[in-house]
Amino acid sequence: MKHLSEEELVELYYGEGEGAASAHVKACRECAAQYAELKQSLDGMSLAEVPQRDAQYGERVWQALEPRLIPYEKKARGWFGWGWSGWTGWKAGTLALGCAMLLAAAFVGGRYWARITTKTDNTAGNKNPQTTTQPTVVVVLTEHLDRTERLLVALEHADSQDHVENAQLQSDARELLASNRLYRTTATHAKDPALAGALDRLEGVLAEIANNPNLTAEDLQRVRSEMNTQGILFEIRVLRTRKTDQGNKTNQGRGASI
Amino acid sequence: MQENDHSIVRAVLAGDKEAYGALVRAHSGSIFRVAFRMMGNEADAEEIVQEAFLRGYQRLESFQQRASFGTWVYRIAVNCALDRIQRPGIEAEYRAGDENDPEEKTVQIETQDADPERSLLSREIGAVQERAMRRLTPTEKAAFVMRHHEDRSVNEIAEVLGVAPNAAKNAVFRAVQKLRRELAPLRGMA
Repeated sequence: MKHLSEEELVELYYGEGEGAASAHVKACRECAAQYAELKQSLDGMSLAEVPQRDAQYGERVWQALEPRLIPYEKKARGWFGWGWSGWTGWKAGTLALGCAMLLAAAFVGGRYWARITTKTDNTAGNKNPQTTTQPTVVVVLTEHLDRTERLLVALEHADSQDHVENAQLQSDARELLASNRLYRTTATHAKDPALAGALDRLEGVLAEIANNPNLTAEDLQRVRSEMNTQGILFEIRVLRTRKTDQGNKTNQGRGASI
Repeated sequence: MQENDHSIVRAVLAGDKEAYGALVRAHSGSIFRVAFRMMGNEADAEEIVQEAFLRGYQRLESFQQRASFGTWVYRIAVNCALDRIQRPGIEAEYRAGDENDPEEKTVQIETQDADPERSLLSREIGAVQERAMRRLTPTEKAAFVMRHHEDRSVNEIAEVLGVAPNAAKNAVFRAVQKLRRELAPLRGMA
């Protein structure tokens, strides 16, 4: 007959090894003696009585604690009554997807419109295909760079204690991330390394902010310092100016590429 | 009770700081009890209660609504106690024990006997038990207190300590082994 180990006896004492172990102790004199000894030791282990707290104890704890607590800010309500607290799940995903689809539609629509216009111009005898290329794209990209610039400025001045502001920052980053990928891919295909590179670095920053479940002061500081957000901000400003100029020229009948 | 606690948590997160008072009043007794058992004295236990509710308030946004607030703040309290015990200075004091002053953090065994000799023996046993408890590691002590005095299951202990159930069970077992070894000379005296 295999005797119970000390561990099994301890489990039995705390009511976890009942069944086979209990039956064994009843049948085995040696294990029964060991169990009795263990029980005697553990039964004797009693700490000092916990001093009783009166009925007002909880109130006293609260009175001492209350001045040290800073109230949580009321949650801002978003569209359709959505609170920022719910923005981590499918709602944020849905919104990001919606924005991405809208941007993609604008992008495709722009290209389609450009093609029609080019065809019309060619029919009209305009031999320069660059003349009307993608004015819509330039406008949409400029808007993207505008929004990105605002986000980077907000990031530079973000106050980690402001939960609502941080939630807004994160939500904006998620939206921009989806469209930024689209622009980066397009810029790569269009062989615009300056724009593609800047958008690539920007994507890293946006991903860091968007995918962090609990954005803390340290996270914001780390993103700012490690990813050189000020440098990216400068690049974005330069690119935006360049694109705005291109957009203006396009509007004046000159060609522009993304 | 749990649903009520959850609605209070929602109110606090919506900016109603005062609502947190209801949670403090409802749970401070049980938190004091485990804090006292971990720390062995009232002053430290009261500080742990304050610290646990303060940390709880600061982390309230991470509280999962499917959990019980009582269990959640209990876990914070045990971890506050562990942090305190593990502070270098405190741990050294805690582990070394104060053998010259066995009554400072009294551990008593129950006695209805007014016999002075019996009472002396009882105090002596209490002091040995206290020293034995001090020789446990903080995790072993927490696991033992929760299992032996608070009657918490191995799974609950594992959750509170943030370890696997097997590790929690081993911590309880190691504590029992050490205590039995330390208390072996007393066997038969009580």
